[in-house]
Amino acid sequence: MAVPLIFSTIEQSGISRWLRESQSIFGFYFILLFHTIGMSLVVGANAVVDLRILGVAKDIPLHPLKRLFAIMWTGLGINVTTGLLLLTAYPTKALTNPDFYIKLSFIGLAVFTMYKLNVQVFGDSSLSEAAMVAKGKIMAKWSLVFWIGAVGSGRLLSETARYFFYGHPAGG
Amino acid sequence: MNYAHLHLLLNHVPVIGSIVGFGLFLISFFGKNEDLRKSSYIIFAAVALVTIPAFLSGFGAQQMIKGPGVSDALINRHEGSALLSLWFMELTGAIALVGLWQSHTTAPPPRWNVSAVMLFSILTVVLMARTGNTGGDIRHPELRPGAEATAPEPTTITEGTFGAFIHKFEPDPDKFSDAMTFSKWWWTFMMAAHFLGLILIVGTVGLFDARIMGFLKQLPIAPLHRLLPWGLAGLAVNIVTGLLAFAGRPENYIFSIALWLKILALLLLGLNAAAFYLTNVFGEVENLGAGEDAPISAKLIAASSLFLWFAVITMGRYIQPLTDTLLGSN
Repeated sequence: MAVPLIFSTIEQSGISRWLRESQSIFGFYFILLFHTIGMSLVVGANAVVDLRILGVAKDIPLHPLKRLFAIMWTGLGINVTTGLLLLTAYPTKALTNPDFYIKLSFIGLAVFTMYKLNVQVFGDSSLSEAAMVAKGKIMAKWSLVFWIGAVGSGRLLSETARYFFYGHPAGG
Repeated sequence: MNYAHLHLLLNHVPVIGSIVGFGLFLISFFGKNEDLRKSSYIIFAAVALVTIPAFLSGFGAQQMIKGPGVSDALINRHEGSALLSLWFMELTGAIALVGLWQSHTTAPPPRWNVSAVMLFSILTVVLMARTGNTGGDIRHPELRPGAEATAPEPTTITEGTFGAFIHKFEPDPDKFSDAMTFSKWWWTFMMAAHFLGLILIVGTVGLFDARIMGFLKQLPIAPLHRLLPWGLAGLAVNIVTGLLAFAGRPENYIFSIALWLKILALLLLGLNAAAFYLTNVFGEVENLGAGEDAPISAKLIAASSLFLWFAVITMGRYIQPLTDTLLGSN
């Protein structure tokens, strides 16, 4: 399948070239750093809520943990922003890699689960703790699976790239 | 200051430290002295932490002295020995930390813990002595058994009975490095585990620090503190995967200023934890309930913990672009 020409157009744009080539410490690795920070916020906060629902540290009251969702959505916001910038830097590299779509699918599923947990379990303040646990248990399990899948496939990206840039196959 | 200085400065800590820790532990064991046992555990944990940069700096020292006049065979033997003793030191430190955690809730810790520290600290003392000796042999020909100080650098090594026995368990450094990097799947697995460890640390330690600083005040402190073993498990995963990745591609890390700043931040986190647990600060916040405010001393420690973890993540991310910031030759 031919690689769409628009990837090349994006790679030639000023912002894409700056992100890739700038020697500034606020260039590519700065974006990558905040992609990592955002990940640790969204997944870290979500994992703690999941673990609590699954029975870890049972004496942490559940209702106040609702405020952790603000941290999760902030982390997600950081990562959508930084993710789009990383994609602008290397469109061909990301979009020709099947693993990239696997990663996005895992993130989609994880975020959907996070949203359901937020609305259905933590959105109803009339629920007792026992009812919250009963309702959230399956979501919490899948949430952990999806996030582990997202992190794992994310780390696999650099090992599975088929192209570095438009017209430059990896390993060729 | 160069890698040889740094290695010499640090490499005596695991050798002497494990002996001091073991000595205190033995006295506490026979004297049934709980405070002394705790002290020995703290020493084991601290020495395990300092052993990490001692190990890393060895690769830099090797780069510096490699060449004519220095025996590659002796360097390889020392490196293989370090690749074995390192894990026993880290394991001893980890078991000691578990014991410190347990003796906080149920003093004294369970017997399995005391037995495990006994076993692994003995092994660590022996293996560290071997690592120290094989290291000394590289630059101190006068120490080599049966050799004249003026003898040429050996290309093969004859071991005594004891050395030959331990050598059977020591990995070949080159093969060990290759084993870490030959498969992209194994490498990715280690990197993914390193990130999951990071997530656990941020989710638990970060949340605890944030609560002490005054966010999420509706949460009581004590149950949040019970999440910390998950963060420590994350730290253990990251020390193991970090050291394995380093051993796989030391040349990618050793000349990056970011690696050393990351290690410095980790050592400072050790001091920060000591300031929290070994003073009365922890006692002041331990039983704070929902809505209660922590004293300023605890808030300062929590803030520096958050800052230092941020530094660890930042420096970790900048290892790669700063790969060549330190010279190998001076």
